[in-house]
Amino acid sequence: MLKTSTTNVVPEKKVEAKNKTKFRLTANDKYYASIFAGPSLFLLGLFTFYPMFRTLYISMFLTNTFGNTTLFVGLENYVKLVTSPDFVSSMWVTLVYVVGVTFFTIAMGLLLANLASQKLPGIAIFRTLYSVTMGVSVSVAAIFWLFIFNPSAGFFTLLTKLLHLPTVNWLSNPTMAMWAIIITTVWMHLGFVFLVFLGAIESVPTTLYEAADVEGVSKHYQFFHITLPMISPTLFFISTITIIGSFKSFGLIDLITKGGPTNATNMLVYRIYNDAFFGGNYAKSSAEAIILTIIIAFFTYLQFKFLEKKVNY
Amino acid sequence: MTKYKKMILSLILVIGVIFLGVFGNNISAQTSANNRIPVVFWHEMGGPAEKTLLKLVNDFNKSQTKYQVIPKYQGSYDTAIQKIFQTHGTNTSPAVFQSSNVSTAQVLHSGFTTPIQKFVDADNYDLSKISPVARAFHAQGGKQQAMPFNTSQPVLYYNATLLEKYGITPPSVSPTYSEITKIAKELYEKSNHQVKGMTVQIYGWLLEEAIANNGGMFTNRNDGHTGNPTKVSINNPEAIEFFKWIRENIKNGDFMDYGAGSMASTNQTSGFLTNKVGMYVQSSASMSQLNKKNKNKLGVTYFPHADGKKANGVSIGGAALWISNDKPKEIQQGAYEFIKYTVRPEVQAQWQKSTGYMALNKDSKDTKILQQFYAKHPEGKIPSQQLQNTVPNFGNSGILLEGMQSIRKLEENAMEKIYRGGDIEKTLQQNEDAINEIVYNQNRANGYK
Repeated sequence: MLKTSTTNVVPEKKVEAKNKTKFRLTANDKYYASIFAGPSLFLLGLFTFYPMFRTLYISMFLTNTFGNTTLFVGLENYVKLVTSPDFVSSMWVTLVYVVGVTFFTIAMGLLLANLASQKLPGIAIFRTLYSVTMGVSVSVAAIFWLFIFNPSAGFFTLLTKLLHLPTVNWLSNPTMAMWAIIITTVWMHLGFVFLVFLGAIESVPTTLYEAADVEGVSKHYQFFHITLPMISPTLFFISTITIIGSFKSFGLIDLITKGGPTNATNMLVYRIYNDAFFGGNYAKSSAEAIILTIIIAFFTYLQFKFLEKKVNY
Repeated sequence: MTKYKKMILSLILVIGVIFLGVFGNNISAQTSANNRIPVVFWHEMGGPAEKTLLKLVNDFNKSQTKYQVIPKYQGSYDTAIQKIFQTHGTNTSPAVFQSSNVSTAQVLHSGFTTPIQKFVDADNYDLSKISPVARAFHAQGGKQQAMPFNTSQPVLYYNATLLEKYGITPPSVSPTYSEITKIAKELYEKSNHQVKGMTVQIYGWLLEEAIANNGGMFTNRNDGHTGNPTKVSINNPEAIEFFKWIRENIKNGDFMDYGAGSMASTNQTSGFLTNKVGMYVQSSASMSQLNKKNKNKLGVTYFPHADGKKANGVSIGGAALWISNDKPKEIQQGAYEFIKYTVRPEVQAQWQKSTGYMALNKDSKDTKILQQFYAKHPEGKIPSQQLQNTVPNFGNSGILLEGMQSIRKLEENAMEKIYRGGDIEKTLQQNEDAINEIVYNQNRANGYK
């Protein structure tokens, strides 16, 4: 039974165009399709599509104290958000954070991966060390970094005191708080990014480097003209997931700065959470969620449109 | 047909597994209390207060055989209230819950609770033993809606050892702004700028209390006691005076600004304990913590007020216990019995001694527990004195307004900007407008007039 239907599903290339309009699922196909795809479609619908459309729906209403939709207001929530300086500043803050995190994660990841790809005795120790942050959970990292940033007993404070430099108030100064969050996030992401880059660099054919060596090209030139182009698919993949991941950053912000000081680290996702589960304003936070979805979709689209063309597969 | 049967069967199996996962927990929870009526109690006490509370619950369960109170910790006040609203009417909801005073208006409007007055009347319980200011926050039309439980007051803490060392007269019982300024300046100068005089945390509650203590109103309709508020005012003379006082002193260097980060409160406390700042205002609930870790003598006095005025008194902070109306009669009765137990004189006395929240029962001060505590820590009396000396009026009986969680964020926004040198009236007006936008929208969404 299955055999006959698969020939229908994957027709010969030549007749594909002709058969396209006539292509029909038999009752049998429908039965098997529903058995195989049904459960996952059902779960996907229940836990992904339903909440998505529900969010869209709620965002066009005002919600009362219990989160029930009471008054249809159309796009009012969106208009108010986009015109509120508070929300716009949140968007900027998120953008700065995303750009900062993506840039430093990729730069550091590449640097470390390039260093660790050298064939030297004992290099395995460094490879393990650089990727060790993969095993650290967000809460542990947050506590660890909170100790480092502590203004009276933190590592950085002790260091600046030792060097007779002015103490930096990492978490109460708006600019420094942003740096603190960026540093922490980059540190968290680094293990994974390093590992992926290392794998990519290792898989670049050595013949290319040998040829370059014969030509007498510098290591610097080799990195930018051999390594980078050869690992560009990985670079593209990493930049996409880092951008999406940092847009959705939540745990570190909640545990380290709580969006403060003066909303300097109040990223969109944290704002959405706060407005819904702290302020109880589900309509506003739904509208914010939709805006965030649009922004992420836009960035992903940009990446596929412009970056992907530059990728050497 | 058999194929469809198979399909339906597999679907049922999938759904069944999901439902078992979701509701499985509750099935086991309900059968756990043997022969006693289970009374699920949601609370938000963490740290040392939780230990004391769990002991209190345990003692109640031992004191009788009819009810079994099951305490469940629900995280912070603000997330817990959302959980309470979202689960009401389901079998996961609590029979009795602790809700922050900030959420009082929300719970009142929800209609999800049975007024405690109903049980009090049936029981002929004498409410007059319980502090009237604390009761006023949770009463409507003279009827008690909830029972205040963990109640605090904002007070001024000072480092008595440090003041003595520099020969500075400690603040009077009910100090004025200029008196605090004078002490702060002296401390700052005499310590060669090593010790900052005072700090006021960026915390909306303190702004609300400053307005209350100087006789102002936070909202129209008498802070919500005579109808649902439609307008909030933080750009008012009381707030402006409060901020002028703080900002002038921050500029002069004798006040400290710890910022508004997540560590601000911790840094402030550790600054006070390590002689970096001499005075600060905070909830009286911090007292047990301050007493435990403090090498210096702790001084406590009333919340400061503006010059040339008599203090109007501050409203209470903390939380109250409410009875859900989605549970059968006997469970609600059990909830009431538990609440009644929590305000017994000796229970409240123990509660004050180990947590720093104030004993609300007037008879508590005659108990052995508190007598001994006061003999060792005479300053421990001050918050209760401040509470007792306050004559309840609309201004100092708490603010009955919904959405206070978001509103406080905006208050704190204003505080932080002003502390950093922003124009007082302009900043207050901006944030007042933003707050009123929230109030307008929530009234519209809830259909309040």
